[in-house]
Amino acid sequence: MKTIYLDNNATTRVAPEVFEAMTPYLTQDYFNPSSMYEPARQTGHALAAARKSIADCLGYADPKEILFTGCATESNNTAIMGAAHGNPNRRHIITTAVEHPAVLEVCRELERNGYKVTYLSVDRNGNLNVHEFIQALSPNTLLVSIMHANNETGVIFPIDQLSRITKQTDASILFHTDATQTVGKLPIDLVLGLPYVDLLSFSGHKLHAPKGIGVLFIRRGTRCRPYMLGGHQEDGRRAGTENVPYIIGIAKALSMAMEHREQDEARIQKLRDRLENTLVEKIASVQVNGKGAARLPNTLNISFHYIEGEGMLFQLSDYGICASSGSACTSGSLEPSHVLRAMKVPFTAIHGSVRFSLSRYNADEDIDTVLEVFPQIVANLRKLSPYWDNERNAPRPDALNLVQPARQE
Amino acid sequence: MDAVQGRPGTHLGEIENPDGMGEHGSIACGDSMRFTFKVKRHPNDPTQDVITEAKYLTFGCTSAIASSEALCDIIERGSYTPITALKVSNSDIVQYLEGLPEQKIHCSVMGAEALEAAVFNWAQRRGVDLKKLGIDIHDQETEEGRIVCKCFSITEPYIKRKIRELNLRTIPQITNAIKAGGGCTSCHHVPGGLQDLLDQVWGGQTTVTPGGSPIPLTPVEVRESSEFSPYQFAKKVEKVIDEYIRPSLKMDGGDVEVMDIKGTLVYCTLKGHCAGCVGASQTLKMMIERVLKDQVDERIRVIEV
Repeated sequence: MKTIYLDNNATTRVAPEVFEAMTPYLTQDYFNPSSMYEPARQTGHALAAARKSIADCLGYADPKEILFTGCATESNNTAIMGAAHGNPNRRHIITTAVEHPAVLEVCRELERNGYKVTYLSVDRNGNLNVHEFIQALSPNTLLVSIMHANNETGVIFPIDQLSRITKQTDASILFHTDATQTVGKLPIDLVLGLPYVDLLSFSGHKLHAPKGIGVLFIRRGTRCRPYMLGGHQEDGRRAGTENVPYIIGIAKALSMAMEHREQDEARIQKLRDRLENTLVEKIASVQVNGKGAARLPNTLNISFHYIEGEGMLFQLSDYGICASSGSACTSGSLEPSHVLRAMKVPFTAIHGSVRFSLSRYNADEDIDTVLEVFPQIVANLRKLSPYWDNERNAPRPDALNLVQPARQE
Repeated sequence: MDAVQGRPGTHLGEIENPDGMGEHGSIACGDSMRFTFKVKRHPNDPTQDVITEAKYLTFGCTSAIASSEALCDIIERGSYTPITALKVSNSDIVQYLEGLPEQKIHCSVMGAEALEAAVFNWAQRRGVDLKKLGIDIHDQETEEGRIVCKCFSITEPYIKRKIRELNLRTIPQITNAIKAGGGCTSCHHVPGGLQDLLDQVWGGQTTVTPGGSPIPLTPVEVRESSEFSPYQFAKKVEKVIDEYIRPSLKMDGGDVEVMDIKGTLVYCTLKGHCAGCVGASQTLKMMIERVLKDQVDERIRVIEV
């Protein structure tokens, strides 16, 4: 059975070209780029070229501003902890209620250490309230950390506007954005487009490079202390021998993504829109989460009321279709998605949410298959649901009062 | 490489009974150089002596040896007098070598320093008063210690002394005064870096804006105008916008809305035709800010949301 992979916000397939670019650095040019002999210097040159290529893809930034890490989680930890340690005179951080755990949990840890954290709310479409943001800015604020696009819903935040307001209010506040879901998908120009962003994180495995490599952009002069201490690598800002093959891989993957970004994204959006529109048309009691907001072109988060997501995923899996319900990262906790709860999606719909996330390796046939099997999958589960009247193909009247917005903790 | 392998045709060695001898560096730093030269003595005027031969002995990495070799070659070819030789700087050495890696720049600095010392030595031997000639060979200023700024080889004790002496409060001030931190900038915020030295000297009493000037710790603390309470201040802003700004905007189908006021920061949004037009919004922001400064408070800044 063919695997239809529609979970690209979780991770992506490594592009064959990326794999090909990496392999020599595993078996032949495996040298430590800090060593003195000629082959090691060649490896060092390849590392420098990869760093420059990534800086170029981000709006011709200075290669010195590109720091390689182990993953986006490490980039986020470094950015937030590093900013906190670099600005000991201030103790307040602003973030959002819908961040990835790699940001939220770091903020909670700082809270336990006496920092004050403001978690900005979102409305039912997943949008932030700019006024609430402005009110949160205080003389004690050291860092604003707001993701570029949400991993679960694909909702895009206006990072350019928020970073500008931050810096115009107080140039000493650092602005960090977790751009894991947007690098390679949206144009990111850190010189002209986002000049007020100090720190930006992303990882390789969301853009067809392997897992285990991340990037943190640190604008020159940013007060951010290193998090990983040890050797002199990365100018002393992140110790640990450089992961050369993976760095080569992420550079290749990013330049490939940028090269074909516009055509790819237009095609992906067409696929996504067809999937979305047809599902909404064919199935009753459906809602698209984040519908009223600017969204990533590859992401569809859709809720089917009165049924449970896991049942849908297992049935989809029988057809070789890979998708997720809520965030894969949080599913281990058995808690419903904190993102959808923050958006006040009713519990009946949170549990019945499915996220499809596409990549350039998806084709029309993939969507055809999903559309073929999905209405039956929903029907099967609704037959089991105590809240569904199968004769009328509508919720039972007594179930309607369950459709109440989820309470925010 | 020729010099390292002892091949002929290099300037490796030490001149016996030199006319000038200078040393720089120490074995503790991992780099040191002894530079000697011989001159063709001018019968009457020692300042007209011409350097005819230069040799070096160097302990250090290949970049240091290459820098030494480059220095001697530049000096010999140029037929410099000891005084004109002082013009040879470390950047000439770097240029001669067609570039050096950033972390090796200090090797070329060592060459230039050794040359200076040798010229000083020559002046003593020949009875030339350099100070009278208006030449000030600075004393060995850098103290031994941990190197903080690797680009310019500047040590912790030296930076700390200069921070105190020159009352340096920010990293840009340090860079302007003694160059430290002006190269790769990686020593700014690492452990034991420039910010740490500033904090150690001044007890963590500085913060830095990107512009580099020290700012008070509470930059946007409600800086209340002496005349108004926050409520009156907001009302006054609204009134001025109503009277002076809104009418003209409305004529062009636009409007402005004050979203919030924090201290003297006025956050507003432009509506209608004004919104979404980048050029117009920039001009409008300036215009609104000017009017509010004139009418309400000079400290007001307008931030467009």
